[in-house]
Amino acid sequence: MALVIPLIFIAVFTFAIIKKVKIYDEFSAGIGEAIKFTLSVLPCLAAIFMMCELFEASGLSDKLTELLSPVFSFFGIPSELTKLVLIKPFSGSGSLAYLNGIIETYGPDSYISRCAAVCFGSSETVFYISAVYFVGLPRKKLAAPIIIVLVSTFLTTVLACLICKVL
Amino acid sequence: MNAIFTVIFLISLTVIAVISPDGALTALMNGAEKALVMAATLFCVYAVWMGLSRLAEKSGLSGAAARRLKPLTKRLFKTENDRACENISMNLACNLLGIGGAATPHAVKAIDELEKEENSFAQKLLFIINATSVQIVPTTVIALRSAAGSVSAADIFFPSLICTAFSTVLAAAVFILGSKKWHW
Repeated sequence: MALVIPLIFIAVFTFAIIKKVKIYDEFSAGIGEAIKFTLSVLPCLAAIFMMCELFEASGLSDKLTELLSPVFSFFGIPSELTKLVLIKPFSGSGSLAYLNGIIETYGPDSYISRCAAVCFGSSETVFYISAVYFVGLPRKKLAAPIIIVLVSTFLTTVLACLICKVL
Repeated sequence: MNAIFTVIFLISLTVIAVISPDGALTALMNGAEKALVMAATLFCVYAVWMGLSRLAEKSGLSGAAARRLKPLTKRLFKTENDRACENISMNLACNLLGIGGAATPHAVKAIDELEKEENSFAQKLLFIINATSVQIVPTTVIALRSAAGSVSAADIFFPSLICTAFSTVLAAAVFILGSKKWHW
């Protein structure tokens, strides 16, 4: 797998040389776009992260986890995964840290860890993506797509816990 | 997003005001700091991939890839916009390869292009496909498991593949069918 990255670079560079692209100029220009892009998403990031920190600090996040655990268990999702499922739509780095914690606590080959790994790998940071993708278009109505994605992510989590029992 | 943000923000602040008022400012500053750290990480990812994708773009490579995929993107996203198709193709390719960081800038460019023809359907469909995760090899998770000493770190490959396909197909199908009826 690690070989893919250098190979992609070599392939694209070789092709660009053949097509007589000014490689250094264009590569730097691309990085220039990256600066603009990063700056354009920073306000959204800061706002969402502040909200997440407040939610965590207020203890509401733990309360919600406690409250939803029985509901999740009813659908076959182990209560150890409740928090991971709740954090993932908001924060990639936060949920990654939590996944790491689960793997360390329960061992990498336990049922809980395998479920957590599959859930993490097959879901995305929904709210973060919605904020970044539509950064220039704040007036878009996104309620329906977001709900569809969240419901389907939840059903996928149920499916993941089922599959991990069998496979 | 405005409603969700306001509600969570206010309720959390109210609770903090009651239990420990001095924690409020710390939490807010922590959030901003984490955002800055995150932005620094994101910049590194974007710098690498946007540099490369500009080379792919200027050499005509991404254009060629997009032309191959055009029949598919045209039918699925109902757009004639070549620049949008190109970025959608690159976005999907990056996602499948597991370089999600490289996928994001392409998605944003595609969405900006689609705005010109007011193609809300395509914008939302692209969002749904990305937000339900399309990835063949979950590289991060496998790396994490093997670092923790798993005996078969990659045995989650098939379950993950089934799940990621299931979520994307389900959400996209619901959206496509539903948008015919309710104009989402």
